[in-house]
Amino acid sequence: MNAPDRFELFVLPDGVKKLTITPDTKIPNAATFKIEKEDHTLANMLRMQLLEDPKVLFAGYKMPHPLDHYFILKVQTTPDTTPAHALGNAITELIQTVGAMKNKFEMDLIRARAFEEAKSNPVGDADDLSSHNVDMDF
Amino acid sequence: MDMFNAGGPEVSIRSLKKDSMKFVLSNCDLSVANALRRVMIAEVPTMAIDMVEIESNTTVLTDEFIAHRLGMIPLTSFDVDRIQYTRDCTCTLYCPNCSVELTLHVKVNVDIDEMNDATIDKTRHVTSIDLISSDESVKPVTDDKAHPILIVKMRPGQELKLKCIAKKGVAKEHAKWSPVYGVAFEYDPYNKLRHSHYWIEESVESEWFVSPNAQEETPPDPNEPFDYNAKPEKYYMELETSGCMKPEDVVLRAMTIMQDKLGGLQIKLDDEVTGEAQRWGY
Repeated sequence: MNAPDRFELFVLPDGVKKLTITPDTKIPNAATFKIEKEDHTLANMLRMQLLEDPKVLFAGYKMPHPLDHYFILKVQTTPDTTPAHALGNAITELIQTVGAMKNKFEMDLIRARAFEEAKSNPVGDADDLSSHNVDMDF
Repeated sequence: MDMFNAGGPEVSIRSLKKDSMKFVLSNCDLSVANALRRVMIAEVPTMAIDMVEIESNTTVLTDEFIAHRLGMIPLTSFDVDRIQYTRDCTCTLYCPNCSVELTLHVKVNVDIDEMNDATIDKTRHVTSIDLISSDESVKPVTDDKAHPILIVKMRPGQELKLKCIAKKGVAKEHAKWSPVYGVAFEYDPYNKLRHSHYWIEESVESEWFVSPNAQEETPPDPNEPFDYNAKPEKYYMELETSGCMKPEDVVLRAMTIMQDKLGGLQIKLDDEVTGEAQRWGY
């Protein structure tokens, strides 16, 4: 039938660029980024991170149509930097944030696993401990 | 590093079970926490039955009905990284590198003596444990052998014989590939930020219960003016998996996917910027 392929949502077709930069013709230091095959997950993260940058005067995104799987991100910066540079910084910052989050998660996971382990085999009883010692090699 | 993210995000795991976990994420932006939630639901790859070749079906359910039910059965996917996506594979339709074959053959024999005895229940329950996988690491989730997933009920004389092809995929394509049955995501249980608008008759306090997560927050002071600059601080996350992989692995894989997404974009941005510079002869 005429239903679009479901993989169109996330597979970049041949010859299509993941990212295109269009400088704004009317506003200085402004550009529009078109990012293909991505959604709010990435767009909102980038927008919020860009807004944290004091050199970014404007950052906003939209998904122009629910059947088109791309978003556009408009960025305007102060004259001492460029929108592409600001976006680069935002991405670097986010990679660091997610990396740190992952490290923290892995660290707490070790603690949580040890805790769950201790809960499932309690070694509180003295009997238990002594019976363990019998087979132990010193 | 901006002021808000100083020190970076913090994670505190509150409970860790076989197929569910709870954790609190703090000191990060709402957009990052929400991205994690979205990626866990829709972009962590798993295995699911995607093609069914039916050889014989004399059951009461139609072929497509059974095929749909088979697709919904969660398959163990902890080893999913080893399997390729079919679209990236060199084969034409499917091969052992990008798929796992599962077969099912159930035939209920007619026993004349039994047939005449109305007291015996002759219904055969065909369940997920009747599916025989060609790969030890990809098989129907059987958490509890006593309650496997029912596919169809058969009466004596009926037969069901089919071959299923399980493929790797993400829930963006079809929800059957989602590793999670649910992700609970909450912040600001007292609604101090006024992000929620409660439907009420007289008062929020008397008509809406406060979530258990509120124990971790300071109750609002009614005399305090509204802080319109306040941002959410703690995100209470809870996820339940389908049993296809451990809950902590879902979170870790989701975080890796977020990193890959951003990293990929960084490379494309650099290419684009240097390309632009070359075009203009810098």
